[in-house]
Amino acid sequence: MRRLEVALIGAGLIARLHLDAWIGTGAAVRVFSDDGRAADLAREAGARAVGSLAEALDGADAVDICTPTGSHHEIAMAAIAAGVGIVCEKPLAASTAEAEEIVDAAERAGVRLYPAHDVRFAQPYARLHELVAAGRLGAGSVGRFYFAAYHPRPWTGHVSAEAGGILTDQMLHGVDLAYWVFGDVVRVHAYYQGDIAAPAPEGAVATGTAVLTHASGALSQVVSRWTATPKPPVRVAFHVSGTGGTVRYDSEWPQEVRVADGEAGTFGYAGESVFTTEMREFAQAFAGGPEPRLGARDALAAVRITQAAAKSAWTGRAVELPVKGAAA
Amino acid sequence: MKVAVLSFAHERAETYARLLRDMPGIELLTTDPDDPARGRSVVDRLGASYVDTWDAVFEWSPQAVVVTSEVGRRRELVERAAEVKAHVLCEQPLAIEAADAKAMVDACDTAGVRLALASPACFGEAFATVRRGIADGVVGTLTTVHGVYRGTAEAGGALAVNAAPLLDLVDTVLDGEPAAQVYAQANSVLSGRPQAESAALVSVRYPSGKVASIDCGWSLSAADGPFVTFIGDRASVDYNANPRLLGGFDVESAGERWEPGGADLCSVMLEDFIGSSGNGQGTGPDGQAGLRAVRIIQAAYESVRTGQPVDVG
Repeated sequence: MRRLEVALIGAGLIARLHLDAWIGTGAAVRVFSDDGRAADLAREAGARAVGSLAEALDGADAVDICTPTGSHHEIAMAAIAAGVGIVCEKPLAASTAEAEEIVDAAERAGVRLYPAHDVRFAQPYARLHELVAAGRLGAGSVGRFYFAAYHPRPWTGHVSAEAGGILTDQMLHGVDLAYWVFGDVVRVHAYYQGDIAAPAPEGAVATGTAVLTHASGALSQVVSRWTATPKPPVRVAFHVSGTGGTVRYDSEWPQEVRVADGEAGTFGYAGESVFTTEMREFAQAFAGGPEPRLGARDALAAVRITQAAAKSAWTGRAVELPVKGAAA
Repeated sequence: MKVAVLSFAHERAETYARLLRDMPGIELLTTDPDDPARGRSVVDRLGASYVDTWDAVFEWSPQAVVVTSEVGRRRELVERAAEVKAHVLCEQPLAIEAADAKAMVDACDTAGVRLALASPACFGEAFATVRRGIADGVVGTLTTVHGVYRGTAEAGGALAVNAAPLLDLVDTVLDGEPAAQVYAQANSVLSGRPQAESAALVSVRYPSGKVASIDCGWSLSAADGPFVTFIGDRASVDYNANPRLLGGFDVESAGERWEPGGADLCSVMLEDFIGSSGNGQGTGPDGQAGLRAVRIIQAAYESVRTGQPVDVG
C-alpha cells in the first residue's frame, strides 16, 4: 500500500502531538507553518518542512489543520479546492457560518473531513458510547460531563468576551460527548465566569456551566474549568443515567499503574495516546478503510452548540437550535 | 419536652421518630391520619405513642413538632403548630408555592416560635468546616457551586423533592443571598409520567455573580448525595454529606456493599432543634431560607415551562 501523504499545517503544541501520531501510523508528513517554526518541528520528528500552503497541499492525501482557529476556514477551503482530505483541530471554525460553509463545500466536493475531537478516542468515553449505542442504558435521562484542566501558558491572541472564552474552547469536549451519547441538541443555556477574554495571564481561571436539552428529551450538564493550579493537571469525570442504569467515570480512579507514594517526577503509564488511536483511524479511512467514529456533521454540531452556549452566556437567554426532522 | 412527629409520609420520618424516642427528656407522640395503616405499622416497629387525628396531637399541646407529611399538607400543619406555640422542624421544601411558604414563615414569626428546616446535610462539623474554610478564603473568591442530589423515586417530582437540600447548602454558604435568576430543564424519562419529572438540572445566578448549578433527578438505586463542589478562583472543595466508609461485595443482595461514613446528620440536626427550642438559636437553615428555596423551585418550574431563564423578584 502506498504511504499516506499528510500535510501538517501549524507548529504549536497540538501540531507536535498530531505529528508524532502521524509518524506512528507510518505516514509521510510535510509540515508548513507561517510562524517560522516548521523546520525545527519537522527535523525533531523526522518529517520535512515545506515553504508554502500550496506546496504542502500539492500531492497530499490529507491536510491536518493545527493552526489557530481563525485560519481554519481559509486552509480548509484551499484543501477542498485541491481535493485534499481534511483533519481539523477543534473547533472546526470560529463561527457557525464558517463551519457550515466548510462542511457544505467538503460534502459537495466529496472531500473527507474529520474533526480532531480527540476525547472520543479516550477509552472511557469510547466505552460509554458503546454501552449507550448497545442499548445498555435504555432511554437516556441525564448526563453530567466534567472537564477541568490547568492551562500552562498565558493566553495569547485577542478574543472578545462575546466569543465565549472557555465555552467555545475547552467546553467543546464535554459538548461533543453529550452530543455523541444523547444526540441532537435543541436548547442550550450557559453561564460563564472568570477570565473570559484573551489575552489573559498564566493561571487564568474560568468556569463554564451549560445545560443542554437533547431532541430525545435527555438533559446534559456540561462543566468546563480552567483551574488555578496544575494539581491535578487534568481531571475528567462523567455520570450518565438512563432507564437501564448508570455509568460513571472519574480520571482520579487509578488504572494499571500509579505512583503509590513519593515523588516520581513524570513517571506514569496511560496506555496508547488518544492521538495515536485517532490518527490511525483517520489514516485507515483516507486509505479507503472504514469511516472513523466521527465526521463533518459532528464537527458542525459541536460548533453550533458551543456557539449557542456563548450566545446564551452573553445574552442571558436560552438559545434554541433547530434540528432538521426532530420535534423541538 | 413534648415533641410530636406529624405523619410518616417522608422517608426520614421514621428515623426522626426513632432518634427522638431514644433522646433523654423527650416525650414523643406520633400520628399519621393520611395513612393510618402506615402509621400503625411504623409505631408497632418503634414502640412509640400514637394518636389517630391531627386534633388529638394538637390538643396534647406539643412544645415542638416535626412536620414530615406530604408537601401539600405542610402549610396547614405548620400553621396549627404555630397556633399552639410549638417550635417547628419542617421537611424541605416548605411548600411548592412561595405564597404558602411565606404564610408559614409569617405564622411562626407571629407566634414567636422557631421554624427550622429538616435539611440534615447543612448540619455537622464537616459542613461547618467547609463553610468556615470558604469564609476564610481557602478557595479564594467563591464563584461557582456544582451539586448533585439523587433522591429515591417518590410521589413528587424531582424538583419538588430533591432540589431543596442542595439549595440549602448553597444558601448557607452564600449567607442567605437571594437568587436573581433561575434556569431549569426537566424530563420524565425515568418516571414515564409527564407530570412527575424524574430528572432536573437547575442553574441559579445570584446578584453577586455567583452561579449554582445542580442535578436533582431521581436515583435508580439508593439516594446519592448531597454532593457539592465549591469552586473559587484559587481552589475548589468538595463536600459529600453521604460518603462511603466501606465498600466491598454483599452476597445477600448480590450487589455492591456500601457502608455509610460521616456523622449521623439526622441526629445532629434533631439535637440542634431540640436544644434550640427553648432559646430560638438553632444553627441550621430557618424558614426564611426555606422561603428562598421555594422561590427558586417555583421559578425553576416556570423556567421548565417557558424554556427560558426566569428572574426571581
